[in-house]
Amino acid sequence: MSPAEKTGAESAAPAETTTSASAAGRVGDVVLRAVDISKTYGVTRALKGVNFDVRAGEVTVLFGENGAGKSTLMKILSGVEQPTAGHLELDGEHVELASTSQAVARGISIIHQELNLNANLTVRDNIFLGREILGARGIDYRRQAEITRELMDRLEEPVSPETLVQDLRVGQQQIVEIARALSTDARILIMDEPTSALSTSEVHVLFGIIRELTRQGVAIVYISHHLEEAIEIADHAVVFRDGELVAAEEAEHIDLPWVVRTMVGRDADYDFRDRERRHGEVALSVQDVTVADPSTGKVPVDHVSVDVREGEIVCLFGLMGAGRTELMEALAGRDELAGGRVTLDGEDLAGRGIGDRIAQGMGLVPEDRQRDGIVQLQSVGRNMALASLRTWVRGFFLRQRAETLNVERSIAQIGVKTEGSDAPIMSLSGGNQQKAVIGKMLLTDPRVVLLDEPTRGVDVGAKGEIFSLLFDEAARGLGVLFVTSDVGEAMTASHRIVVMSRGRVVCELDPRRTSRDEILAAAEGTVPEHARTSAPAETSGPAGHPESTSSTSTTSTTSTTSTTNGAAS
Amino acid sequence: MRRTILSTTAAIAATGLALTGCGGSEESDAGSEGGGDGGGQISIITVDPSNPYWSAEIETAETVAEEMGYTTETSAHNNDPDEQTRLMETAINDDVDGILLDPAGADESVAIVQQAVDAGIPVSLVNAEIAETGLAEAQIVSNNAQGATIGAEAWAEAMEYEGTYVELFGKPSDNNAQVRSDGFDGVLSQYPDLEKVGEEIANWDRQEGQEKMEQLLSRYPDIDGVVAGNDEMALGAINALEQEGMLDEVEVLGFDGNNDAAQAVADGDMVATVLQPITEGTTQAMEVLDEVIRTGESPLEDEKVALDCVLITEENADQLQDFSLEQ
Amino acid sequence: MSTTTAQETPAGASTETTRRPRFSFSLGSVLVEARALVALAIIIVIFTALNDNYLAVSNLTTIAKDVSFNAILALGMLMVILNAGIDLSVGSTVGLTGAVAGNLFQGLDVPLTDAVMFPATWVIVLISIGVGMLVGLVNGLLISRLNLAPFIVTLGMLYVGRGLTQVLLGGTNITNDLRGQEGLGNTGFFEIFASRPLGVPIAAWAMIAVAVAFSLLLTRTPFGRWLYSTGSNERAAELSGVPVKRVKTRIYVLTGMCAGMVGILQIANIRSSTADLGDTYELNAIAAVVIGGAALSGGRGTVRGTVIGAFVIGFLSNGLVIVGVSPFWQTVITGAVIILAVAVDQIQQIVQRRRAQARAVAEARRVSERAERDRDSEGKEAAGV
Repeated sequence: MSPAEKTGAESAAPAETTTSASAAGRVGDVVLRAVDISKTYGVTRALKGVNFDVRAGEVTVLFGENGAGKSTLMKILSGVEQPTAGHLELDGEHVELASTSQAVARGISIIHQELNLNANLTVRDNIFLGREILGARGIDYRRQAEITRELMDRLEEPVSPETLVQDLRVGQQQIVEIARALSTDARILIMDEPTSALSTSEVHVLFGIIRELTRQGVAIVYISHHLEEAIEIADHAVVFRDGELVAAEEAEHIDLPWVVRTMVGRDADYDFRDRERRHGEVALSVQDVTVADPSTGKVPVDHVSVDVREGEIVCLFGLMGAGRTELMEALAGRDELAGGRVTLDGEDLAGRGIGDRIAQGMGLVPEDRQRDGIVQLQSVGRNMALASLRTWVRGFFLRQRAETLNVERSIAQIGVKTEGSDAPIMSLSGGNQQKAVIGKMLLTDPRVVLLDEPTRGVDVGAKGEIFSLLFDEAARGLGVLFVTSDVGEAMTASHRIVVMSRGRVVCELDPRRTSRDEILAAAEGTVPEHARTSAPAETSGPAGHPESTSSTSTTSTTSTTSTTNGAAS
Repeated sequence: MRRTILSTTAAIAATGLALTGCGGSEESDAGSEGGGDGGGQISIITVDPSNPYWSAEIETAETVAEEMGYTTETSAHNNDPDEQTRLMETAINDDVDGILLDPAGADESVAIVQQAVDAGIPVSLVNAEIAETGLAEAQIVSNNAQGATIGAEAWAEAMEYEGTYVELFGKPSDNNAQVRSDGFDGVLSQYPDLEKVGEEIANWDRQEGQEKMEQLLSRYPDIDGVVAGNDEMALGAINALEQEGMLDEVEVLGFDGNNDAAQAVADGDMVATVLQPITEGTTQAMEVLDEVIRTGESPLEDEKVALDCVLITEENADQLQDFSLEQ
Repeated sequence: MSTTTAQETPAGASTETTRRPRFSFSLGSVLVEARALVALAIIIVIFTALNDNYLAVSNLTTIAKDVSFNAILALGMLMVILNAGIDLSVGSTVGLTGAVAGNLFQGLDVPLTDAVMFPATWVIVLISIGVGMLVGLVNGLLISRLNLAPFIVTLGMLYVGRGLTQVLLGGTNITNDLRGQEGLGNTGFFEIFASRPLGVPIAAWAMIAVAVAFSLLLTRTPFGRWLYSTGSNERAAELSGVPVKRVKTRIYVLTGMCAGMVGILQIANIRSSTADLGDTYELNAIAAVVIGGAALSGGRGTVRGTVIGAFVIGFLSNGLVIVGVSPFWQTVITGAVIILAVAVDQIQQIVQRRRAQARAVAEARRVSERAERDRDSEGKEAAGV
């Protein structure tokens, strides 16, 4: 009862929220300070004596690889967990946040990577969920709607409070999350990967909102794996490595190479452009493929044609909604084609299921690893063997020795860091899980591998390893078609870039001769003048010839990354 | 008589694919049309057609009614009062001429019988009572207490009034389970040398009766007798005893008088069972209903009639068929 | 793949790690089963202390038989639960197959003639089990092809099966006909299906056979792997080329087969085909699977655990009778044990999840430590604060 009343009282004047926020902290004042925070899980020290300030009206960006301690710190700041040692100071006062509700009560809100909204409820109900304003006759919906409208207007996203969240775009949902945080009178807003589901234009909207919020005095703590975006929004950057805060810098002194260097402790970026390339015959041929979504009547993939040759790595670049994932899933055999033809080594794949296509030599490494890639309850080895079990059958039974041998060899070759093939897949880091999923497909002895955003949620270091692995396989004749929305990746890790926009192929580009701006422009639908819409960059006969041998093809181990210092700038 | 003409697999397949119900089962009400002096429709609402006992009840009721010239409509509530209400309401809405009901619960059934009576439909109750008089035209039940008494007497005699025994108890939610158990106790407690060492619930079920008996035998390997609240449990106990090779030494008492039990009594595996005169009771209840429908007057002075049960022993077991004694 | 990778020498670091103890993963599943084993041990100790007859050979035989029926059903149930499914129709399928067998012993009217055919006993047994599999096939097809919820489909089938049983039996039991007649060539049913080879009830032998077969199926065949992976993450399995629909259909057939076997064994055991046979058996089967450590959410569970789970229930219900606990309290205690088992399961999962989290953190730390080492060895160019 009383919390509701309290909320009511607070939200009764949302306009004051901003004033009180700015009153609480003038821009630049330290509002929250972490003092010597340490956190230990069992024998593991996730945080080692971290000192860290959050300032009013500024965006503090946290950089760090997975496991560097960012998430642990976020959990402590938002009251999810408590530090093993050290303490927090809010406005110079020693505070203890025993729970998220205590944190919220003190003006600290967190917006999680995965949206925590109830899709079946309205915007209004989501914002006030658990903190309903009670009137004489139950919930005061009118008051709630009023406040919701004011909040959404303030965030420049004037959707009706009665709209169901499920009817909103992901970007709009993100804004509802922010509105909810603001409705709790948040002075400190923690954003964990807020842009991972947003399109470029939505990111710009979000950044506009963040700027507006900081003007109003709200302190933002921002985490993202998307380094360039994060640098763009940062006023202040801190870098974590191995549980320690290793660097803190003002915005004007940071750039991408600095961030990457500080995060991984070395220049871990990769560039495979100069790798030797031998392209053979066309392995995968996609001709005029169209995919329709019968439920919405939309056509996410519209007459797309693309060829992948033996040994060739083709990057399918496109922003969200370009139809990349739909194309990949259709190629893998999950969805029916509405038109067009897919052939592998000249053989038409029409009517073949996923399993047949894998047997034929083409499999997909899906975009969403947790949802589509790994079998969570099983071991690394079981996961990797899953797609090729049929090849190890004798009579009725599996030849387990053959299976184990192949799987372990693959683990070693791909460089999956695991305690062994019997270790649970969930005990692996994201990058290693991804390697295991790729390894699963490589074990099927494929002709062509399809990869949908193969580096999503993967550390910078592991990204290089994954591409190194693909280039090694390509050197042996594997055809690769991968999807990305990371320009740097497209430029440094492919032989050819095919840009898609709104379901169509816009153009093909040569990664060695194009620029970031050109790719991004193409992704928005503008065809660069010199770009050809057909004919791959360069292909040679089956024999092939090395075009360049500047980097040796090593097997991928931790230390394997090209030392070429071509940071993506 | 019960041979179902079917190619088994075809029936299953048909069901599986179309989930259509089952052909023959619903046609049991195909009665003679009109004619006779009744000429109306009677709704027969009973407990569980899959049980031989109620199956006999249904068959008797249908046969008698059809002989009187009624068409019948049979349904079962499985002792679920809500289901009973639903079925009764259907019958009331259909404006049938009379209802023969085997009620689900003495208290639970009062309101719905009242509803039927208010709608001007006479109701005749069989096999169980309701907790109100003046509503139903007849409440014809078999005297379970008397039945338990005569059964227990015969069994005690076979035991020669001494030894240890166990009891298999029916479904605790069924009032008759307690009535019969009390009836047994009433007699057997008079013989100090008869000692009841164990009692287990076996829910009127043969398989459970067998399982519980096996377990009881592990605990009391030297048992001399078993009394069971119904024949199914008794037959399960007999299976268990047979497995242990103890059937000759242990005396078993059943209740209900179904065909398998009659066979077991005839074979000497069961000392005795008690026949509930269900066919007689059903016939009588139907006759009352017919009379009321035709004349508006009940032939009964007291609506409550308790029919005595009949003891089935080796002497008369071979005359017992489908719950009626051929005389 | 092997051809492309064979010549590669594994990198040093990874070789070292792949040689790490192999049992770390199976330890988790052992712990889950251990719970059921501990429960079993506790039950045995308590009841033995209370009554000497508990562990007597004759009582063990009784337990073995009673457990076997439930264990066979539970093993079938395990198959669908591994797939995050459920089969509520097994109990009524038991009744149905029993009724089918009973009817076949009475003879089969040949359509359009007056002839009556009496199949041989073994034919009857095979047909009856086949009927069980057919029920499973219908369940499986409806669930896999039409994407219907297993709960609903099998709930419906529960009624259909029970109803058909009643149709087949027409309100009576089939008892004497099961003995068969010499002249008809359909004798020997009880002699085989209620026998005790080597003093062990035939049902127990059947249970052992099913357990061994299913254990091989789950651990040694691609089908088993497919089943576990579809149960844990169907989408991932599908994208790995696993024929998820076929797997789904087949497990229900296996469940139906188990129900058919129990139907046959049970009518031989009680020497009668009754309409109520198998009523609520599905619940005991589900309980055994859950106590045995399987997750209703799929992907987790073993044959061994399930058999132990069935023994826990069997030993418990037998023990409660043996020591003379009031019949009413027996039900309460059985229910409490099931809830306890599920609660322990949940607690264990929470603990495991925490442990996995800690492991992930440790792994990340190891990676960065290694990176640090590499960096240091590369020449102290670390970025300072």
